[in-house]
Amino acid sequence: MQTWDDRQPIYQQLADLLAAQLLDGDPPEGEAMPSVRVLAGRHLLNPLTVNRALQALGDEGLLENRRGIGLFVAQGARERLKAAERERFLQQEWPRLRERLRRLDIGAEQLDWEGTR
Amino acid sequence: MSTDQALVQAQHLSVRYGARRAVDDISFTLPKGRVVGLLGHNGAGKTTLMKALVGLVKAEGQLSVLGRDPLRERVALLNEACYIPDVAILPRWIRVADLIRLMGGLHPRFSAERSRELLRRTSVDLTDKVGKLSKGMMVQAHLALIAAIDARLMILDEPTLGLDVLSRKAFYEMLIDEWCDGERSVVISTHQVEEIEALLSDVLMLNEGKLVLSISLEDMDRRFVALSHDAAVADEMAAAHPLLRYRVAGGSAALFDGAPPEHVQALGRRVRPSLVDLFVALTRKPELDRTQF
Repeated sequence: MQTWDDRQPIYQQLADLLAAQLLDGDPPEGEAMPSVRVLAGRHLLNPLTVNRALQALGDEGLLENRRGIGLFVAQGARERLKAAERERFLQQEWPRLRERLRRLDIGAEQLDWEGTR
Repeated sequence: MSTDQALVQAQHLSVRYGARRAVDDISFTLPKGRVVGLLGHNGAGKTTLMKALVGLVKAEGQLSVLGRDPLRERVALLNEACYIPDVAILPRWIRVADLIRLMGGLHPRFSAERSRELLRRTSVDLTDKVGKLSKGMMVQAHLALIAAIDARLMILDEPTLGLDVLSRKAFYEMLIDEWCDGERSVVISTHQVEEIEALLSDVLMLNEGKLVLSISLEDMDRRFVALSHDAAVADEMAAAHPLLRYRVAGGSAALFDGAPPEHVQALGRRVRPSLVDLFVALTRKPELDRTQF
């Protein structure tokens, strides 16, 4: 069964997981999110936890509540997620990666930028 | 939590078997719309407590389930509560379709149509004989039958005991998806704590008949503090008297009831306390302490 790590609350981990799926276009912008019960069943989570995760995504402006129908993926959600991910990479991952590349004496010319290997 | 919404209220509840108290002076309240884990080792009193909830054993103290006295109003209570005991009790010779007909005759709030709908989620066929089903299918069929009762409280005693991981997953998926609607509650006893932690909204923990913990998972995260730390500060952690010390990926952790002093908190990194660790901390026998590390 699915395991969750102990570093963050589970709802936060589910929100991250759902955000990653939204970034991949699942579900696409303007489409309905799966219901709380479906998500709870799929991830074997308490529905309250799922609610909190969806709430968190809503607070970030990624989902919008259409009254009486349910939650939908907001327009511009992917762009917003991508911008946040890009920022996170540049701020957090890139300095560490650069440090490692320097330590290993790897220059830009040695890296395969085309991904054709 | 307001008590008028409580599905179960127990005050100083005890169940005696001769001189032994299987359930020993426990008090708790269960509101609606919850998924409650009843945790305890074998012999902790889980089954006895569940039997008391549906009026199968006589209990001392006060007990109200769906506003009724389980012992005196058992028939009325079972109109609105459903129960799977810890032994598979479906007759082996009967066909599933006949079971549905039987249930329709036995229970006024059973919906045959709903049970057939639930069974379509499973690989159980209406023409199958119960005795021919695998253990996993049998438990799924059982759940499909009792989840088709329009009830407010479901009580499951070790429902997934002896099932493989896929059957357990399918069982819980059906339970969450088809039963939990924010109004109905379910009480599940198990000692496979790890597996259902994320499913639960509340925990009742029994140890030798005593209720050692009754808390919502949300409050649990707030009240208990787990600190992961380096081996170098292990002595300082131990000196702060944690409930439990245990190993985690990449080091050790200490579990505290309430926030430890700030200088101790500064020695570690706060992690989410797991129900399993708490279970070990609150239910182990004192003489086992030495073997913990």
